[in-house]
Amino acid sequence: MATDVPPRPSPSRPTDGPAGGSASGPEWGLVAVLGLLVVAALARPALADLLATPAIANWATVFVAIAVQALPFLALGVTVSGAIAAFVPPSVLARALPRRVALAVPVAALAGAALPGCECGSIPIARRLISRGVPASAALTFLLAAPAINPVVLVSTAVAFPGRPMMVAARFGGALVAAVAVGLIWAATGDDRLLARAARPEPAGGGRLAVFAGTARGDLLSAGGFLVIGAASAATLQTAVPRSAVDAFAGTPVLAVLALAVLAVLLSICSEADAFVAASLRQFPPVAQVVFLVVGPMVDLKLVALQAGTFGRRFALRFAPLSLACAVAGGTLAGWWLV
Amino acid sequence: MSPRTGATAVLLVGVLLVRLVVSGDYLRYVRGGMAPWLVASGVLLAVLGAAGLVGALRRPAPSPAHDHHAHDHHAHDHHAHDHDLDHGHDHGGERVGWLLLAPVVVLLLVAPPALGSFGVGRTAGVTVRSGTLFRPLAAGATPVALTLAEFGQRAGDRGGASFAGAQVELTGFVAQPRDGSGVRLARYQIACCAADAVADVARLVGLPGAPPARDTWLTVVGTFRGVGPDGVPELAVAGSRAVPAPVDPYET
Repeated sequence: MATDVPPRPSPSRPTDGPAGGSASGPEWGLVAVLGLLVVAALARPALADLLATPAIANWATVFVAIAVQALPFLALGVTVSGAIAAFVPPSVLARALPRRVALAVPVAALAGAALPGCECGSIPIARRLISRGVPASAALTFLLAAPAINPVVLVSTAVAFPGRPMMVAARFGGALVAAVAVGLIWAATGDDRLLARAARPEPAGGGRLAVFAGTARGDLLSAGGFLVIGAASAATLQTAVPRSAVDAFAGTPVLAVLALAVLAVLLSICSEADAFVAASLRQFPPVAQVVFLVVGPMVDLKLVALQAGTFGRRFALRFAPLSLACAVAGGTLAGWWLV
Repeated sequence: MSPRTGATAVLLVGVLLVRLVVSGDYLRYVRGGMAPWLVASGVLLAVLGAAGLVGALRRPAPSPAHDHHAHDHHAHDHHAHDHDLDHGHDHGGERVGWLLLAPVVVLLLVAPPALGSFGVGRTAGVTVRSGTLFRPLAAGATPVALTLAEFGQRAGDRGGASFAGAQVELTGFVAQPRDGSGVRLARYQIACCAADAVADVARLVGLPGAPPARDTWLTVVGTFRGVGPDGVPELAVAGSRAVPAPVDPYET
């Protein structure tokens, strides 16, 4: 990846030194931002030359497109998250859910239907739910279900598959089953200590508006930074691996399902748009298309990056494979049964 | 990231989103319908960032001695937290906020172009669609302007019967100057953003003159000729002209 990203020389080294020197004064950050812009401006001719190379131009366009497309949804997510932190009294949310996990998890999954957005927005919200005492299993189920089963996504799926309502039903059913399964498995075997970072309460102090703005800003900076990592890796894979590379697997059902699951992870398409891409993969059997639609909103490169950033790397390393396995199983079941 | 820097970054991202819509460049990356959402979220982020910056400038800068007090957002590397199972530390999630400036820098300096011929052959294989029944085109004096997507769909509907011999007009860019017996014209359809682009293609047969250069935009007039052995629908060209790239380069 590193060789593909010359357009962003300075941000690619956020970890070296300067943070350690922060004691020398509060202004270094602003200076660094300005310095970054000046250096980049000086490098402009070199950047323009790079964009004359079709592959690099393609990378840059896809990278910027994913970031720009996700930002409004991320803004919605951090707004809701900030509002919960500022205006919803602690413990109200936890009390609103059924006490028994076996009930709380499905309820959380269905609650996901009320969030009209895609996957980027649901991560800060799930994190806020956890910090507000909602059981991790329920919050994680919400996180997985919301982007896949909300009305906006279901309508766009219906539009992409005209005359095939069973595709919509299979997507809804498969995603719901997978999200609930992940929640129950996490409740039984998961280690909530991995979520320590998310469980930390938001900073207290200041008025409600200050808490709202501070929480929203903090969530945006952390989620946005990881979104950029995800967008860069997705753009790299989209540029390096042609989508037609998976065509060879279209003929064998098992391989077709696995190939589209992998493709969904690599492409990192927004859940509002993935149905159109699934519909264009006409050479694949419908069950594989359903798996593509169920996996995409639950596990993809930009989501794993966002989860790692929000909840911690070790959490993401366990949660992503679990979600992937459940999504493939749920999508396959719903696909065989319904389409 | 210090509160000031973080707020500045959020402000910059917000301004950038609004600027993308004002300049019209956003159409290279996302579908046109996103404009109100980009403006709304851009304004929201700009206000959030500006408010944070004003607030941070009013407060006296925290002295280093107070840094490790709880809830201080000042980026500071040296306190590992024993209870934190995650290997990083508290502020890792904020340091990563620097990366948010990457798209800002890229966009401020060199707005990357709309997707071009590079990716055309790399999206999934070409197959003309069928399943939709089209009304026959009315053969009139002026050619009917079709999207490349509809051209392909009509080609797949009963062997192109709905063209009814009418002249059609297509606009797209040259994806392959030499494509068998003709020139391959393409245009992307996007549902949400350029990452989900799917290319629709047509082969122009009988284009006069030397083959045009890759990525040239053309408007061509002609009649449906059939579907080639590779599944690409073909147009028998009656006339063509080079055109500037359209404001919205994608079909939605």
